[in-house]
Amino acid sequence: MLILSLLWVVLGLIIGALANAAKLRPASWKSRGWLAMLGLGVLTALLGGWLGAWLLSALFATATAVWVAVLGVALLPRLIAWCSARLHTG
Amino acid sequence: MDRNQLSTKQESDADASAKPVTKARQNWTPGRVAAGIILIILLCTGGFLSLFPLGRAFTRSALLLPALLSDSAPAPLVVAGDPVRVTHLTLFPHTSRTAYLDIYEPATPPPPIPGGREVIIDVPGAGDNRSVPQLVNLSRSLAQEGIIDVNVGTPALFDYRVETQEGAAVVEAFELMEHWPGVNPQHIGIITFSVGSLSAYEAAADPHIRDKIAFLAILGGYTDITSLLHDVGTRSQTINGKTERWEPIATTAYVLYRSVSYLFSPSDQKLLQKAFPLTTSFPPPLPAAKVAQLSPVGAAYYHLLEGDQPDRVNQNIAALTPQMKALLTRLSPLSIISQVRPPIYLLHDRNDPAIPYSQALEMVAALSRLHHPYNFTTYTIFSHVEINLNSSLLQELSNGPRLLGVLTRVVLPGS
Repeated sequence: MLILSLLWVVLGLIIGALANAAKLRPASWKSRGWLAMLGLGVLTALLGGWLGAWLLSALFATATAVWVAVLGVALLPRLIAWCSARLHTG
Repeated sequence: MDRNQLSTKQESDADASAKPVTKARQNWTPGRVAAGIILIILLCTGGFLSLFPLGRAFTRSALLLPALLSDSAPAPLVVAGDPVRVTHLTLFPHTSRTAYLDIYEPATPPPPIPGGREVIIDVPGAGDNRSVPQLVNLSRSLAQEGIIDVNVGTPALFDYRVETQEGAAVVEAFELMEHWPGVNPQHIGIITFSVGSLSAYEAAADPHIRDKIAFLAILGGYTDITSLLHDVGTRSQTINGKTERWEPIATTAYVLYRSVSYLFSPSDQKLLQKAFPLTTSFPPPLPAAKVAQLSPVGAAYYHLLEGDQPDRVNQNIAALTPQMKALLTRLSPLSIISQVRPPIYLLHDRNDPAIPYSQALEMVAALSRLHHPYNFTTYTIFSHVEINLNSSLLQELSNGPRLLGVLTRVVLPGS
């Protein structure tokens, strides 16, 4: 599981970097926003991998890590930015 | 406001709205688009391979294929695969129904999705194949993928004999696995090799389990012993109306003799055993004086297996006793194919030296007549039922997709 987790970390970094390149980072994340995207990629990939290993078995965990990480870097920044905006206006 | 003033106002509005569009276009750089496309591809691929049963089956078969072609588990299967537990069982020891089961299963509990595990019951061919590296590797790889693999052996098959009622061992194994912990009883299929196919067909025709078997896959199986004897006797096979040379291996003759040997007189048995021993190549033919000592039936069978009277094959088959002809019919899967229920996946090597390719075509014709669901694929990388590890890259590339397709069908029920 350790080797798989390391693999998911690497995949999460790659997906985070791709999300940066695809400019999925919210405009409000100015400084260090790119680093937050990498971190988000790693976190969601690990979450997806462990969830996949538990629900589907380790054989399909990497595929799960990939799509969960992509969804994570695509949706979570927007969600965080929206929540943050709501908090500030509130 | 005059007309000139109105026109100037409209132009400035148009300029203002054009600017964000241009800016947005500038933002869609090739790098951004490429990264977006890669992310979409990753999302779709990851989702398909993990969320959909067909995708999971494809993942399994894609990992299984290199395991088969290289005779060892690939690195991803070693890293992500389940640990394997092996159990050896003997059913009904010291009786005529004795069956030996080698159960390869994942040592972890089944995952919540899809729930119960799939079971594949293997019926290897003649001889004791329990320690054959390719079979062990297949069983281990399947277990690492979360599928329980059960190798079924019987004393008759270990002794290179094809017998009727051997399917009872497969039925016993099936019923045992139906109640095995962690198994989904709806997801039990059978894979059989070579002459083990009769046992598998018998099980697939058994009224107790035939409607519960997920699939029946046959690699290098035979269809009709009489037509097989014809091909052995003529040292040829007919493919699509064209007759071509075919040389059987000595094991084929040995099994064909052993399976009917008890119908011969002791003196015939002694001579035929000497003529067709378990060797890698045919020994020299019996001297004419010895052949003359054989009974008419023994001589007819000798010439069929020896292939020294290719022009008299039909007469030699006709010379067999009614008892022997009846046995040959009973030993032929063709006689029970109409009672088989599960879908059949037929795999056969075009240059199979043990069971001619024509046998698979005969089964295809029978299945077509019966409108029975089947899938037939031809290969060139097998040496009878074992992957030829010296196959060229071109052969592997041309056979790989077909094998991948069959493997995907085989692992789909439990995915």
